[in-house]
Amino acid sequence: MKKIISVCIGLTLFLSGNVFSQDLDALLNEETKPTVDFATATFKSTRIINGHSIEQMKKDQLEFRISHRFGTLNNGPYGLFGLDQSVIHFSLEYGLKDWLMVGTGRGSLNKTYDGFAKFRLLRQSSGAKFMPVSLSYFNSIELISLKFPERPAGTSNYFSSRLAYVSQLLIARKFNQNLSVQLTPTYIHRNLVKTELDQNDIFALGGGARYKLSKRLSVNAEYFYTYNPNAKFLEPRTYNACSVGVDIETGGHVFQIMLTNSQGMREGSFIPQTTGNWLDGDIHLGFNISRVFAFNNK
Amino acid sequence: MKKNLLILIMLIASLGAIGQGKFISKNAFISFYSSTPLEDILGESNEAVTILNAETGEIAFQALMTTFHFKRALMEEHFNENYMESTKFPKAKFNGKIDGYNSSMLSAPVSDIKVTGILSVHGVEKTITIPAKLGLEDGKLVGSSKFKVTPENYGIKIPSLVRDKIVKEMEITVKANYLPFGN
Repeated sequence: MKKIISVCIGLTLFLSGNVFSQDLDALLNEETKPTVDFATATFKSTRIINGHSIEQMKKDQLEFRISHRFGTLNNGPYGLFGLDQSVIHFSLEYGLKDWLMVGTGRGSLNKTYDGFAKFRLLRQSSGAKFMPVSLSYFNSIELISLKFPERPAGTSNYFSSRLAYVSQLLIARKFNQNLSVQLTPTYIHRNLVKTELDQNDIFALGGGARYKLSKRLSVNAEYFYTYNPNAKFLEPRTYNACSVGVDIETGGHVFQIMLTNSQGMREGSFIPQTTGNWLDGDIHLGFNISRVFAFNNK
Repeated sequence: MKKNLLILIMLIASLGAIGQGKFISKNAFISFYSSTPLEDILGESNEAVTILNAETGEIAFQALMTTFHFKRALMEEHFNENYMESTKFPKAKFNGKIDGYNSSMLSAPVSDIKVTGILSVHGVEKTITIPAKLGLEDGKLVGSSKFKVTPENYGIKIPSLVRDKIVKEMEITVKANYLPFGN
């Protein structure tokens, strides 16, 4: 009995001593629940360069974007290296939910209207829950509003001929603070194409990456490989879209400045219809500017 | 034999007292506020954890940087990415002691105290003394504090481009409702 009691006393002393010696900091660490650490800011903007990135507008945040692509650098000094011409695309894009973003825009190239929705399906995370990549689904409709050409008597134009549909999976991973990489399998369906030889259904794989040079500056690159491009003898010849650029962040703005061989700024134009060839100097200087407005009241 | 039993009972009783010797709050409030004519910045966390040792007057806080939320999502992203570097320095910590502590402070109505300790933010540790309030309010132990810190002192660089939008000294507000630890 005595033995038991002394063991009890010893144990009690040991335990209480233990409680005393425990540092408050260690106690706090114990009390802090393990957290799920989501990867944030995989890219600085909702676009890598031309194509969409995994990033979304958060709930109740509105983004106004203006993008320009100038003419080709091989215009030479007479055309001020393409600065004399430019195409514009502007859009309003809004986060309905943290996982759902919608947007609509207008591009001067082919007088195109577009609408899109981007759904976030998976978020890269570490900590209590491990997920190696972020995954989103992007879907858009583009409407070419150019006047229809004159048709032979007895034939007619259909509204549906103006439409093209884009579906993309965005698969991204932020490897570290500086390096993020994204793969973008793409399917595009165009209701009407120019000739019988043009493809209605286009399959492409996009690859994009960004590397941060400093907290507010990153270099980006993007390439879209088309599996079934138009036949080479068709005019104008099309090429895979290839772009390099930098992102510069200044508070509420992100400036993206790029060199690209495509003048289109929408998936339906720059993936199947890029006519510039880097090797011939068909390189367009361009920029995207965005401004974000918050509409949540707190 | 009886003596031993008595000691045992006393020890067990004292163990209970030790359990009462600490107070904890797992959802303490911390905010920081910067106001300039160009922009107001307010980040708030309701998930800070704090422990108060009633025996010694020691007090400790920990807050995960990612628990701070802002009205503008972009601000939150910049806070974590550009300023606090939250992946590198995930926590802000404070470990300190109440100046001139005695345990009656915990059973008195709320009154002014001073706390001296080490504030660790963005991987930089600085010893600071801050004014605070501590005591009973409606029968509950509450603590609060309002003080200023200069981000530059903690190696947080603010680029000249946004310098006009962020004040030199951030106002930090802390509020905690303490409960006995272990309950």
